[in-house]
Amino acid sequence: MHFRRYFSLSAFALAAAAGSGLALAAVSPLDLVKPVADYKIYVSEKLETLLTDTKAFTSAVKAGDVAKAKALFAPTRMSYEAIEPIAELFSDLDASIDSRADDHEKAEKDPGFTGFHRIEFQLFSENSTEGMAPFADKLLADVTELNKRITDLTLPPEKVVGGAAALMEEVAATKISGEEDRYSHTDLWDFKANFDGSKKIFDLVRPLIESGDGAFVTKVAGNFTTVDTTLAKYKSGSGYELYDKLSEDDRKVLAAAVNTLAEDLSTLRGKLGLN
Amino acid sequence: MTQDIGKKRGILTDRRRLLFGLGAAGGAMAAGLGAARADDRTAGQVTDAPVSDRTQQRQPFYGRHQAGIVTPRPEHGMIASFDVLATSPAEVKRLFKTLTDRIAFLMQGGTPPALDPGLPPADSGILGPVIPPDNLTITVSLGSSFFEQRDWLADHKPLRLVRMTRFPNDALEAARCHGDLSLQISSNSQDTNIHALRDILKNLPDLMVLRWKQEGSVPALPAKPDGTRESARNFLGFRDGSANPDGGNAPLMDRIVWIQEGGREPGWAAGGTYQAVRIIRNFVERWDRTPLGEQERIIGRMKATGAPFDGRTEDDVPDYAADPAGMVTPLDAHIRLANPRVAETQANLMLRRPFNYSNGVTKSGQLEQGLLFIAYQADLEKGFIAVQTRLSGEPLEEYIKPIGGGYFFTLPGPVDKADFLGRTLLEAAGQAVSGLKP
Repeated sequence: MHFRRYFSLSAFALAAAAGSGLALAAVSPLDLVKPVADYKIYVSEKLETLLTDTKAFTSAVKAGDVAKAKALFAPTRMSYEAIEPIAELFSDLDASIDSRADDHEKAEKDPGFTGFHRIEFQLFSENSTEGMAPFADKLLADVTELNKRITDLTLPPEKVVGGAAALMEEVAATKISGEEDRYSHTDLWDFKANFDGSKKIFDLVRPLIESGDGAFVTKVAGNFTTVDTTLAKYKSGSGYELYDKLSEDDRKVLAAAVNTLAEDLSTLRGKLGLN
Repeated sequence: MTQDIGKKRGILTDRRRLLFGLGAAGGAMAAGLGAARADDRTAGQVTDAPVSDRTQQRQPFYGRHQAGIVTPRPEHGMIASFDVLATSPAEVKRLFKTLTDRIAFLMQGGTPPALDPGLPPADSGILGPVIPPDNLTITVSLGSSFFEQRDWLADHKPLRLVRMTRFPNDALEAARCHGDLSLQISSNSQDTNIHALRDILKNLPDLMVLRWKQEGSVPALPAKPDGTRESARNFLGFRDGSANPDGGNAPLMDRIVWIQEGGREPGWAAGGTYQAVRIIRNFVERWDRTPLGEQERIIGRMKATGAPFDGRTEDDVPDYAADPAGMVTPLDAHIRLANPRVAETQANLMLRRPFNYSNGVTKSGQLEQGLLFIAYQADLEKGFIAVQTRLSGEPLEEYIKPIGGGYFFTLPGPVDKADFLGRTLLEAAGQAVSGLKP
């Protein structure tokens, strides 16, 4: 259990988190109470959806319904991807829910390789659900446990605000290449969720910096729009086309937008006086 | 875990308290310890930084030509190739001006702005709080795609600029080829090059995306008593650059390297040059298992001295006219094909500025290393392309495999502080241009 630093959402805790008075903008720690509380609601809603969707997904896997399980794989992950910086606070669960084959020495054959991507491998590479029941049970148990732990957790404001940039760093470092959903190629669903999760945080704190740093807000909002417009080209049904459909030009546009968002959002904590 | 750290901290704190809290006797002891440490510092500690007296070497940034072309090659070099996102004239202008601004600062050295500690720092800090110039040059060049993908620039593409095409012995990897813009970064240390690259990436994330990069180095040699210089060796163990034209000879460089005004090239390109980059893998294990005589016949030089077969030193010029049948230097020897030293191939001369590269291990367990070939010439077709065409099929091909690279056009230099890289191109394209500082 790595993360057990429980902050109470009192003005005192926020002031402590806000550090030693190096705030750039005139943002009072109290101003963060509402955005952080609103974000907690957002996270709770996402977790509820994640739990419901994971139940349906794992049931399909256990029932041996390959087609249904395949269809549910990408949409189910979206709620997880949107709140990844919070989910990742529990590194044991993040590893068992969302690790990739290359996080494990024996890759796909490694007994420690569990979670979404283990099932994804079986569904999309092997076109079967064979032997997946224990993995499905474990995934549902892990998601249930994650939900429980986050419900009990008071969100540290610096983790919430820092999450906006953390999501972009994730995309920039290990997702833009299409290596996340390497068997299903449903990476664009994950992108969408990561961007939405980051934008949610930005939107919540936006009123606090809008007046003092209008140019920054305009630039960040513009890059989120670029991402939305680019991803919208690949909409298909209720979701997105496969990653291989992403044109080289659009991949570059997304890469530049995500790098720029990562640079700009990396200043968000400082701008809000958070350490 | 946390407890352990706490314990360790406790010990450290106790020890510090012990040192600083003691009376006169303790003070003497502390002084003794201090002296011992001072001695150790002189002797050199394992993690002490290696000492360089060249960190203040500085190359001029402003001039008719960019630095880093006729500039003597330092120990470390890198080519970084980018995809450029800037499409509109305004964005391209911002790209050029920001690059100019960053390069001017990095080549000069200095102190980056101090920001609020609540923010990420302005500089990576890997060279310390004051950035030394360290002989840094950054040379900016544009690929053909830079022009072709922008309608308003398409008519202004340099005449000879094309996308690199495959030669028969090439095995080009898409991920290590081409690019809209290349930076050649070279300096006295790898860290200085990396610092410069990270600075530029951080300052232009929305307009440039890194596509590939290749770093390399050349081994330093001890100074010779008579003051003469020798060419460095490549990873085949041969001196590379013996027949390179003299970069200090300005009229010669005007003829071989620099685009002249009034020629067939667009006027904005005057003062620029063509850059050919090739990542050429060397099969070094196999090379090392090749008899010395055969190695020398393949290259056309003596391995130890670099001298041609009819000469004594690497500066001696082989007399091919006296050896028409290739009895002394085989007709298909690398240096003879590359530069036959006849009147009609004088137009094919180019200025080479390569670095040796070493990347790791191939899937087959062999060393992935070779030559980061970089050459500059006023006419790409008559320069690199003609020479490489002549080399096609040479015996050396059994030991080398070009795997990446690209062709670029190196912009003319910024003449002074009011100028910026790419200004002449923007003006030629009908864009109103103001100086660097708006």
